[in-house]
Amino acid sequence: MTSIDASARRLSVLHIFKVYYPDLFGGTLTVIRDICTGLKASFAFAVLACSSANGRRRIVVHDVPVERVRSFGDILSLPFAPTYPLRLWRRIAQHDLLVLHAPFPLADLVFALGFGRKRPLVVHWHADIVTHARLRRFVEPLMRRTLSRAEAIIVSDRALLDETPLLREFADKCHVVPFGIDVSKYERPVPRHPDLKVGHDRGRLVLACGRLVPYKGFDVLIRAAVGQTFEVWIVGEGRERARLEQLIQSLGVADRVRLLGSVPDSELVKLMYIADVFVMPSVTSAETFGLVQLEAMAAGRPVINTSLDTAVPHVARDGIEAITVPPGDHRKLAEAIDVLIRDPERRQRMGLAARRRAMSKYSTTQFKQAIEAIYLDAVTSKEGVRSARAMRSETAGLVGAVRIAATLAWSDMRHRYVRSLLGPFWMSIQMAIMVAVLGSVIGHLSNANAVARLPMLAISLTAWTFLNNVVLDATTALQNSAGLIKDRALPPVTFLLQCLFRQALFALHNASVPLLLWLALSRTDIEGCIAALPGLALFVACTLGLGLVLGALATRFRDMKPIIESTLTLAFLSSPVIWTAEMINPNSTVMRLNPLTHLFAVWREPLATGHVSMISIVYALVCVAVLAVASVVTVKQLRKAAFWI
Amino acid sequence: MVSISLHDVSLEYPLYGAYDFSVKRRLLGRLLNERSETRTIRAIDNISIEATAGARIGLAGPNGSGKSTLLRLLAGVYPPTRGRMEISGNVVPLIGLNAGANMDFVADDNIRLLLRISGHTPTQAVVDEIWRFTELEARMRHMPLRMFSSGMLMRVLFATATAFPADILLLDEWLSVVDEKFSAKAEQRLLKLVSMAAIVIIASHDQALLRRTCTSVINLDQGRIVRAVPLDRYSERPFELEEKRA
Repeated sequence: MTSIDASARRLSVLHIFKVYYPDLFGGTLTVIRDICTGLKASFAFAVLACSSANGRRRIVVHDVPVERVRSFGDILSLPFAPTYPLRLWRRIAQHDLLVLHAPFPLADLVFALGFGRKRPLVVHWHADIVTHARLRRFVEPLMRRTLSRAEAIIVSDRALLDETPLLREFADKCHVVPFGIDVSKYERPVPRHPDLKVGHDRGRLVLACGRLVPYKGFDVLIRAAVGQTFEVWIVGEGRERARLEQLIQSLGVADRVRLLGSVPDSELVKLMYIADVFVMPSVTSAETFGLVQLEAMAAGRPVINTSLDTAVPHVARDGIEAITVPPGDHRKLAEAIDVLIRDPERRQRMGLAARRRAMSKYSTTQFKQAIEAIYLDAVTSKEGVRSARAMRSETAGLVGAVRIAATLAWSDMRHRYVRSLLGPFWMSIQMAIMVAVLGSVIGHLSNANAVARLPMLAISLTAWTFLNNVVLDATTALQNSAGLIKDRALPPVTFLLQCLFRQALFALHNASVPLLLWLALSRTDIEGCIAALPGLALFVACTLGLGLVLGALATRFRDMKPIIESTLTLAFLSSPVIWTAEMINPNSTVMRLNPLTHLFAVWREPLATGHVSMISIVYALVCVAVLAVASVVTVKQLRKAAFWI
Repeated sequence: MVSISLHDVSLEYPLYGAYDFSVKRRLLGRLLNERSETRTIRAIDNISIEATAGARIGLAGPNGSGKSTLLRLLAGVYPPTRGRMEISGNVVPLIGLNAGANMDFVADDNIRLLLRISGHTPTQAVVDEIWRFTELEARMRHMPLRMFSSGMLMRVLFATATAFPADILLLDEWLSVVDEKFSAKAEQRLLKLVSMAAIVIIASHDQALLRRTCTSVINLDQGRIVRAVPLDRYSERPFELEEKRA
């Protein structure tokens, strides 16, 4: 999550697509390029694409750094780039926003596996997979997962939304943003190429433009040229080239139909001007928008497009800016071209309408603004979701309370070290002195070997100090943290847990005293220590329960605190902490009824003898159970703790 | 989706007298059969508020009208006595800046601790950013907060509290705490924070401020909504922040 000041720098955005300049030209790439150049003030863009060309892996195109992942050719119109998912995964963390240009199953794979979940994702839905319907069956679950985790889906036209079932599932996050076109590029220049005006004068030049791939339907256009008078120029490159050339030859239209190959943008603009009719004969819904027809419209050309159920017939509308013919029908296409060729006045009328529409409806400013807003929203909403999730786990749940309590306790302990070099070890020294004094006193009281008793005395005192301090600490904890509870809305239980953690850390310091004594005076018995661990856990659990319950009670009823304090002193004296049961009559009723006797016994006995009596275990377990119930009630009641402080 | 939905929410605030805090007195009362009900005050009385992303709600009203209590109720400090309350989104209450600061800790440690308390990981970069915002000398970073003047302290606490954006921001008498020299910068930062939050609720006596920043103002009196005024002028005089953000 970024802090508030970090937003001053440009957000880093990664465009994810199968291919990029200079390997290919086309509508989708134009869109990516326009976004990159148009929004470079707000975002720092980068592109991750595949490339089968041998060349540098990292290049800069139009000021945008492009990483090209090695591809070994196309399979089912998709680049075969096995390392692409890996590269994408590695790049995810470096960017603030991921922008996927769908369909691109290689990237879906990464997102479907759940990588990059923490990054906001925007999907530009350019087309459905139509050409390879069978592939779709396998890819659709992946695409669905990608879409479901995306923050926003951008489509170029309403029609896409209506016609794509997969998108309808996510209609609530789909945004319709029509592509924009910079009409100024198509301002009619002074005719500087009088030689090229020839075609224009003749009024029978038909232009088409696009990658030479099957869905563009150029074969239909070539067939339409048979037996007609008009000329057809097709701009673009692609794997269909050989097949189309063959078709031109076999239909005997080579004199009028030319494949011009790739043409730079500036040249394309000129070609648009000299053309009389622009044709987009696309045959499948893979053609979702037809950015190139928009370019032709910007250049004031009448358009002939096909009645696909995509945006195509909505961008240039039948009878106004275009004549729309059924896809794949070369007779109807030929007819339509012929109508326009024969009617210069109509051509001009449609051309003007086309330019007007391009300027008003598909302005690049609107496009850029809409895209920018969606990108920014995606980033902030993801942050919101993420921080909300973080907050929920951080503060609401018990886990969050524990985490904050631990943080606070740790900081308390560190602070002890800040104040003095020895930190909490000062208390340990105090403890050592206490052990020495008490040890000698007890040595005089009983005849037993006082020195041999010292380690047990030390560890008992450490444990008692822990319990005593947790409870005492808890009685004031809530009042001391009133600010955090009332103004920062932290759950009150946090501060009772903080007492436990803080005192546990101090107890670990104190434990150095018994540990040293143990090492110096007793034979080390690891098995006994391990056997003591479950008992110690019971002891700590009881301490926690006592801390919670008494802490809450002392906050609710202020006169509880002195009562608790005196009870603790009494308990210290009447429990076998500094003395052991053997020193007095072990069967005395008070001794047996005192739960502390057993709470100490469950871990002290295994330490001393390796055995523990069943009664002690049962007693300790009952204590834990009772305190657990009381703690649950307490935690519920603590909701009202803010009223008490 | 960030939203706040209060439906007929009431809060009975228990007024604990000296006796109510005493368990002995209670037991005695029980023995003497003296029934003593804890007195309560209806701090929030049947309030319904619906707010979705984009809402900027101002709470106005005299002292004791329930503004802060309502904020605390929304923050989850007080449980509502009656009614339905649904809040989705990350709520960040900026009710008192002071809360959580430890005067004996050095400034840097305090910043880190406060960030952790609010659920953020204090990376060095974030702490540096916060410190830069305070415009205090670098050597002050390693001094305990008790050596800071109150103004300097406020800078540190303010910078830390406002370092991260929130979905739902609850502000109580904001800006009144910051010294004059710092206030222009602080106001800008707060406004930025406000602009980034989906829902902001501001309790203030400063009517001009509320009018300037809010889409609607709720007037409270004795825990009741006296009047809820949607500010039409909001559209006429667009919130200056929206421009900055764009």
